[in-house]
Amino acid sequence: MEYFEPKSLDEALSLLAKHGHDARVIAGGTDVMVDIKYKEEPGCLINIKKIPGLTGIQENGGSLRIGSLATIRDVEISDLVHHKLPVLWDSSHQFASLQIRNTATIGGNICRASPSGETLAPLLVLEARGKLTFSDGEKTESFTSFFQGPGKTSLGTKGLLTGIDVPYPPEGSRGVYLKHAVRGAMDIAMVGVAVLITPDAAKNNLQDVRIGLGAVAPTPVRASKTEALLRGKPLTAALLKEAAAMAASESSPISDQRSSGEYRRWIVEALTRRGLEQTWKAATGKEVA
Amino acid sequence: MSLTVNTTINGQAVSASAEASTSLLEFLRDTLEMKGSKLCCNTGECGACTVIYNGKPINSCVTMAADANGAEIITIEGLADGDKLHPVQQAFIDTGAVQCGYCTPGYIISVKALLDRTTKPTAEDIEEAVSGNICRCTGYNKIVDAIHLAADRIAGRA
Repeated sequence: MEYFEPKSLDEALSLLAKHGHDARVIAGGTDVMVDIKYKEEPGCLINIKKIPGLTGIQENGGSLRIGSLATIRDVEISDLVHHKLPVLWDSSHQFASLQIRNTATIGGNICRASPSGETLAPLLVLEARGKLTFSDGEKTESFTSFFQGPGKTSLGTKGLLTGIDVPYPPEGSRGVYLKHAVRGAMDIAMVGVAVLITPDAAKNNLQDVRIGLGAVAPTPVRASKTEALLRGKPLTAALLKEAAAMAASESSPISDQRSSGEYRRWIVEALTRRGLEQTWKAATGKEVA
Repeated sequence: MSLTVNTTINGQAVSASAEASTSLLEFLRDTLEMKGSKLCCNTGECGACTVIYNGKPINSCVTMAADANGAEIITIEGLADGDKLHPVQQAFIDTGAVQCGYCTPGYIISVKALLDRTTKPTAEDIEEAVSGNICRCTGYNKIVDAIHLAADRIAGRA
């Protein structure tokens, strides 16, 4: 296995151009090292951690720019994330263990493109965008189109994710990320549901609703039909029940050793209901009617 | 492909070669013959291999040895001062927080990292600090007792 530690973005991109299909990019390494040991060594390993300028979390107008090499712990201990993006903070706080959070990067969690990636459903509901850099230029892409399948992203074999822009959610909104796993710490989510709602000014109706589902489809997905059903309405018990069932029907989970597809659908229903209830109460101060 | 790792382990400069695929844990145990950090799950899930990397606890089994270049690493071998055990080690003995002992070096490192951050850890701090360490024997209560005792001793409260 060849090994490179590029010192600049340009160097990394030309290495990817040369070794593309044979290369694996490594940052924190908490997933890649396991693959190297138990699956297959790539022909070439490109360690991007020495590239300057890819860390840090900064406010950038009405959004937060997170460097792709920021660790999950950096995200978790950021006051800006905690106060402005609580739904992302929730997922960083429930991410594996402290040891892993100290090592794993947010860019790695995104580029791994695992349907169960902990930060992904929150990034979808926050309508975050990735900054993708290629040797012939860079582009900004929404994460709704970035994920193409398990392990597949629009970066292909030639691009690098160099930053994440997370716009602040609307004024008055409330969000939560709920994860279902057997064990609180360390465990991979069987299902993860991110909910972000914004009530109207009078706090009577749902003005904006965003629901992200993790681990229940080939990529993390938005439950767009459920969102459309809820938009513009007050959250009543009947609507809540209907919406939760619809979110479950919008998921397409597989059965694996962690749980059956049928069980995952039940959990999507339960977590969607819980997430909507919690955020509605927090945002409006009202019980579900 | 071989590379040279220049690092600092327990305050001592170390230079040795490693493969790109070598984990920091393999580098410690097999290259440097430092067997205190334990190999267990080898996938970053059990915490037996925990070391302190630039002040932060990490799983050495899923860290590249190459990333130890220029870093400061603290392992279980670096805690005692001659024959005098580190307060965390002594507290684990005094409370009986050890049974089979395999997870113990990882726990002690995680707890040292916690008590380097604060000597007044809350119940939540403790839970977070050792949530990535698995013990199959003790039932955890004595480990938590040991953490409180070590914190009290380090802060001069006991």
